[in-house]
Amino acid sequence: MASAANTNLNAVRETMDVLLEISRLLNTGLDMESLSICVRLCEQGINPEALSAVIKELRKASETLKASENCTN
Amino acid sequence: MATLDQKSPNVLLQSLCCRITGKSEAEVAHQFQYAVRVIGSNYAPTIERDEFLVSEKIKKELLKQRREADAALFSELHRKLQTQSVLKHRWSVLYLLLSLSEDPRKPSSRVGNYGALFAQALPRDAHSTPFYCTRPQSLALGYGERSAALSASVGTSGISSLGVYTLNGPTATPQSLLAGQPPQSAAGGGQPLGSRLAWALPVSCSPSSALAPLTTRPALGPPVPSSRVVRPRRDGEVSEAALVRDILYVFQGIDGKFIKMSAQDNCYKIDSKVVLCKSLRDTSSRLAELGWLHNKVRKYTDARSLDRAFGLVGQSFCASLHQELKEYYRLLSVLHSQLQVEDEQGVIVCSESTLTLRRLLVWMYDPKSRLKTLAALVDFCQGRKGGELASAVHSYGKTGDPQMRALVQHILSLVSHPILNFLYRWIYDGELEDTYHEFFVASDPNVKTDRLWHDKYSLRKSMIPSFITMDQARKVLLIGKSINFLHQVCHDRTPPGKITPASKSADTPKDAAELLSDLEGAFQEKIDAAYFDTSKYLLDVLNRNYLLLEHLQAMRRYLLLGQGDFIRHLMDLLKPELVRPATTLYQHNLTGILETAVRATNAQYDNAEILKRLDVRLLEVSPGDTGWDVFSLDYHVDGPIATVFTRECMGHYLRVFNFLWRAKRMEYTLTDIWKGQMCNAKLLKTMPELSGVLHQCHILASEMVHFIHQMQYYITFEVLECSWDELWNRVQQAQDLDHIIAAHDMFLDSIISRCLLDNNSRSLLTQLRAIFDQIIEFQSAQDSLYRSALEELALRLQFEEKKQQREDEGQWGVTAEQEAEEKKRIQEFQDTIPKMRSQLRILTHFYQSIVQQFLVLLMTSTDESLRFLSFRLDFNEHYRAREPRLRASLGANWGRRPSNI
Repeated sequence: MASAANTNLNAVRETMDVLLEISRLLNTGLDMESLSICVRLCEQGINPEALSAVIKELRKASETLKASENCTN
Repeated sequence: MATLDQKSPNVLLQSLCCRITGKSEAEVAHQFQYAVRVIGSNYAPTIERDEFLVSEKIKKELLKQRREADAALFSELHRKLQTQSVLKHRWSVLYLLLSLSEDPRKPSSRVGNYGALFAQALPRDAHSTPFYCTRPQSLALGYGERSAALSASVGTSGISSLGVYTLNGPTATPQSLLAGQPPQSAAGGGQPLGSRLAWALPVSCSPSSALAPLTTRPALGPPVPSSRVVRPRRDGEVSEAALVRDILYVFQGIDGKFIKMSAQDNCYKIDSKVVLCKSLRDTSSRLAELGWLHNKVRKYTDARSLDRAFGLVGQSFCASLHQELKEYYRLLSVLHSQLQVEDEQGVIVCSESTLTLRRLLVWMYDPKSRLKTLAALVDFCQGRKGGELASAVHSYGKTGDPQMRALVQHILSLVSHPILNFLYRWIYDGELEDTYHEFFVASDPNVKTDRLWHDKYSLRKSMIPSFITMDQARKVLLIGKSINFLHQVCHDRTPPGKITPASKSADTPKDAAELLSDLEGAFQEKIDAAYFDTSKYLLDVLNRNYLLLEHLQAMRRYLLLGQGDFIRHLMDLLKPELVRPATTLYQHNLTGILETAVRATNAQYDNAEILKRLDVRLLEVSPGDTGWDVFSLDYHVDGPIATVFTRECMGHYLRVFNFLWRAKRMEYTLTDIWKGQMCNAKLLKTMPELSGVLHQCHILASEMVHFIHQMQYYITFEVLECSWDELWNRVQQAQDLDHIIAAHDMFLDSIISRCLLDNNSRSLLTQLRAIFDQIIEFQSAQDSLYRSALEELALRLQFEEKKQQREDEGQWGVTAEQEAEEKKRIQEFQDTIPKMRSQLRILTHFYQSIVQQFLVLLMTSTDESLRFLSFRLDFNEHYRAREPRLRASLGANWGRRPSNI
């Protein structure tokens, strides 16, 4: 039982590594944690198109936020 | 972190928001709400759920960026990923990564990409266009190709069904509205998208605007002169932007601020109070026509789509109109959001890329012509439904404009889909599911099964779509009718699949479209195959299980007196019965006689199935009739074969039988007469005073015999056998039941008309009847003659005998009184002879005059074989010598048609 869980954990880790590598290749700008969140969301059947739209939007928002902060600073 | 536990998406989303913005939960509440809304909007994914396609796309992407090594590395990683079974939605993750990917060579841009927003606004699962069905746009294409495909999907959304035409055609479509286009394509001037896009980019564009593809737009044609910007603005004049906004509303049929629906002119008009320069006013009124067109189409669909009685065809017509309208709305929504963006960014930033009326005019050119076509269609289809509607749409497809043709073709394929569905159900299952009477086959529920073939189903001429020929429609009707006939009348329960092996075809809408484009070939073949199989099966069943051909032959043998020995024997047996008055006849006696006749002749070897249908029938008795007048054979038909032998047919058969029976009886009578003459000739030799009368009798009798023989020859060989041969050939070659029925009807018709039973030859028939009557009369006259002669003969013999006896006894042979008495009696007898002679002479005269009249009628008849009959009857010109009219008409005939002789 424990070993099964272990192999499963290993498999998960390996998968995440591979995905991280692909993400790096494609220059998505996602770090490990965001990627894992995204993967989990995808696994729950969320539309990847929508998700990517959200991420882009969030990035844009944070950009503008930062810019405004810079301005105020 | 690495465990994929099942947290709720919202929690995950929130942490994602925090992670990306780098803020705490409270700070990102706004973004989080937005994210939840977008994710929760739950529109259908517009991409292929195919991992392979996505991975191919990624590889292409990498290759595009000239990173072959990375591409190889990616395939390696992807393979590794595939070996793991942790992820269930690999494609989804990959797609996410792909859409987030950025070309490292390009300056990073994480702002202002509205592509995703547009992707939301315009889910690209366009279903109205055949083009989309065949070519999912998420397929990895080259950039140029891909952008073109995208432009076709978005830019031309109002004209979606154009298919390939738009792709390569010079259509001026708003290229800038490429939704979802990765930013680098906009900046990539060297990409194969073409120089059009490249040079259209404003040179002075800031990087940010270049990266937001929505704000950059290729000018269509030479750059618009920018005089508009510097043009001095009069007081109170409406700005063009406001007009554009108005126009966009008007496009959807909503009144704008300045442009309103004018009730009396029935068009959209700019408020006359508004101050506006003429060109703008002109342009906007031209654009406003779209609104009117849109309203027209919209009104039609709104009115019809809830009307159930409008039928399936009508519904699908409405649906296709709706689809086109949806495409149109899609375009409008793109324009709207464009306007939104401009508002946000301020129009001043890039004046050359804003929406102007002129640009709208160009962009809306195609949608306008499409809407025009739709409006015309709607007008034309008003009040039509079903097949009629399809015909109307089809007639609109005959235009030289390929785009319009494609549009109409597309609508037609949708409209005709229900019709083809009906058609397939009908020809493969024989079922008519036509609740709204749209199909061109109509069924009359009041008709009982015995008239099913003839009356139950009919063609609705008006509902035959114009792309189906009359011939095809008739075949279709026949196929379904045959199936129903098999089921309901023949009680044949063979599943339709066994009759027609071709029935397993899939009837998808694509199928319908294909059939429409290739109506001559595949469709015809399908119908032909179904027609051939079904008809053949039906004929097989009729022949095998219901002995149709045997029944046909039985009709000929019994009702048309083909079976000579049987008829002769029947007549022999019936003769004593039939001379009695008709009222004393009883059917059961006659039936018994019929049985006897059957058993005694070759008829006994016939099929029991046939013999049991044979029956006697007594016609209606009118006073003075003898049994000969009312007797008739009958043949019972029921079930499937009654379809061929209908009630009218049997009526005809009975009439023909009656005629033939009468003619046969004449023959029979004459045989009797001749027999009497032969038997009595020797006996009466001893009475020389009779020889004259007897001679007269013989002459008349042989005249009659000649006449009847020729008549019989004509009826048997020229009428019955010829027609029968024709019928038999036709029946052997018949492909469907209708052919058999037609051949049989023709057979009966020709027999009826050539046996002089139809209306045209009524006078001939009356003459013939009179001749027959003369024969009967002659028979009775001769009978009485012979009777009295034989009586006289017997008396004389008796007298002689007595005389001899007395002489033997040694007495006087005769006394004087006896002799005187004998003499007186002989004298009396001899006195009757002139009376007989004159009676015979009258008879002969009468007979001959009737025959002559008959011959005159024959001569003048139009039927060739009847004229030949007259030659045969008067072969030695016996009658011609007596009748001047015959000479005249013969001469006239000789002169008129020498070819006949």
